[in-house]
Amino acid sequence: MTNLLKRDDWLDLARKLDWNYKYVSEEDVFPAVASGTPWLPHEQWASWDEPFKTSYAEYVHNQHAKDDSVYAVRDAVGRLKDFEKLPSQWSNALKLHAAALPLAEFAATVGNLRAARFGRDSAWRTMSAFGAMDEYRHTQIPLLIMHELIRLDPQFDWTHRFYHTNNWVAIAARHVFDELLLAANPIEFAVGTNFVFETGFTNLQFIGLAALADQVGDHMFEKMLTSIQTDEARHAQIGPAVLRTLVEHDRDYAQYLLDKWFWRSWLLFAVVTGFSMDYLMPLEKRTTSFKEFMQEWIIDQYLESLQQYGLKKPWYWETFIESLSIYHHMVYASAYTYRPTVWFNFVVPGVDERKWLREKYPEHWDELDAVWQQISAQWEGAPGEQEKAIGSAMVSFCDLCQLVLCGGTPSHNTAETVEFNGESYIFCSEPCRWIFQQEPQRYAAHKGLVKRILCGAAPGALPQLLTEYFQLTPDTWGKDVTARGGRHD
Amino acid sequence: MPIPLYGFLKGDTIGLLLLADETETMQQLAARLQEAASVRVKPSQSARLVFAGRALPAEATVAQAGMRALQRFDVIPD
Repeated sequence: MTNLLKRDDWLDLARKLDWNYKYVSEEDVFPAVASGTPWLPHEQWASWDEPFKTSYAEYVHNQHAKDDSVYAVRDAVGRLKDFEKLPSQWSNALKLHAAALPLAEFAATVGNLRAARFGRDSAWRTMSAFGAMDEYRHTQIPLLIMHELIRLDPQFDWTHRFYHTNNWVAIAARHVFDELLLAANPIEFAVGTNFVFETGFTNLQFIGLAALADQVGDHMFEKMLTSIQTDEARHAQIGPAVLRTLVEHDRDYAQYLLDKWFWRSWLLFAVVTGFSMDYLMPLEKRTTSFKEFMQEWIIDQYLESLQQYGLKKPWYWETFIESLSIYHHMVYASAYTYRPTVWFNFVVPGVDERKWLREKYPEHWDELDAVWQQISAQWEGAPGEQEKAIGSAMVSFCDLCQLVLCGGTPSHNTAETVEFNGESYIFCSEPCRWIFQQEPQRYAAHKGLVKRILCGAAPGALPQLLTEYFQLTPDTWGKDVTARGGRHD
Repeated sequence: MPIPLYGFLKGDTIGLLLLADETETMQQLAARLQEAASVRVKPSQSARLVFAGRALPAEATVAQAGMRALQRFDVIPD
């Protein structure tokens, strides 16, 4: 036994072992269409490395211990009776995540597997193989721990349908995840997923939201997030390692990928995390606003990361900073008035919550408060008798992000229209329009919900749209949490 | 044949889709958008409709304004 090699003596044979091809060309083994561009000979990627340097045995050992820890918390505090003690408005943040998270993580398994085959260095491929197993774990954990909740509420059951429906949120989620996780080559995947999404943004979920889950007493959700984060921190290291070589050989392309995926990630997190932090978390449990968390944990860190590579902040940075104060509020107020189109419930911010929101978002709150006053006025008179303040007019969607046209402020909606090949397209913002125009052939054929309705592929009448196309029912569509428009009298 | 148009009411949080008739006037179209958005924005007595960067006369029709499918118009309450 004493003659066994030490770990450091054999580890690189397991995790970083490349060789020269004798019978086929390197281009045949790693074609640009699958491996991505710029296509470089392996010698340009040979210095690829990452700091974790995990062996397979260590990976299995560590993951097993993490899973044991998750199961222990589930057994202690993850039963139905524990969830029933949680504030009802918070359970809607769980419904949002129960729908959006598991199959997005599964799509990330596919992206990692592509990189595990077509990544240009063996250490990259090894790390991606671990990444694929990580993402499969992140599919299973939320499915496992939130499965208990389907007995609590049919909306939790519906979350399993989410990605298989044509619900407008599912269309938007598929649009971004299909491109980022299923279709992207390993270079774009590494920049968009590992660097921007996982390094840049997931602190929002795994640190910010986990801390809030702890505050509200949801220790199961907190444990799930923090356990996932330990995996993310490791495989996110693929991003900087790929970006380093990409910047050396095609700085403009690197900048383009970063700017594209920063904006697309921002819109997604603004809705999922913005709603959860600023509206679905009970006021007395809030420690920080979504915007403050973005400023503390995302912005400075992301800019520092860019500086390390001599890259610039995104060209739309001022627009992004402006949208930090307003975008998720625009979407939330709009979505409240169309809540039967989604699968979770909403709260009208009460007097104290509006005071808090005004303190945290002084720039535009007066304009938003006018909207909430109009919504609240409709609940006057007969609260609880039936749902009030629901819009019936057709809403419009961005032809890039597929989310509702809520860019800008109430006094200035930033939607822009563009003609391409004789077709009219509309975008919620200048960055979405810019992303479309960089690769119109990639996006132009996708029909958003409005065009599906206009061509007869989706029903135009709201009741049929909700039940037949979105597959919602009176039991599962979104409602006001209090059924009183936030009134407590 | 109705013309689908994207309408944006100043003060609202979202853009809406309206199906307009060619003979519909700007005043009627503005009133319809205000009604459609009234769940979030209290309608005002009068409003201007802006299309392609200029305010249009209240009596001008959709056809006269040259509005085509999936173009944007704005309504600004007075």
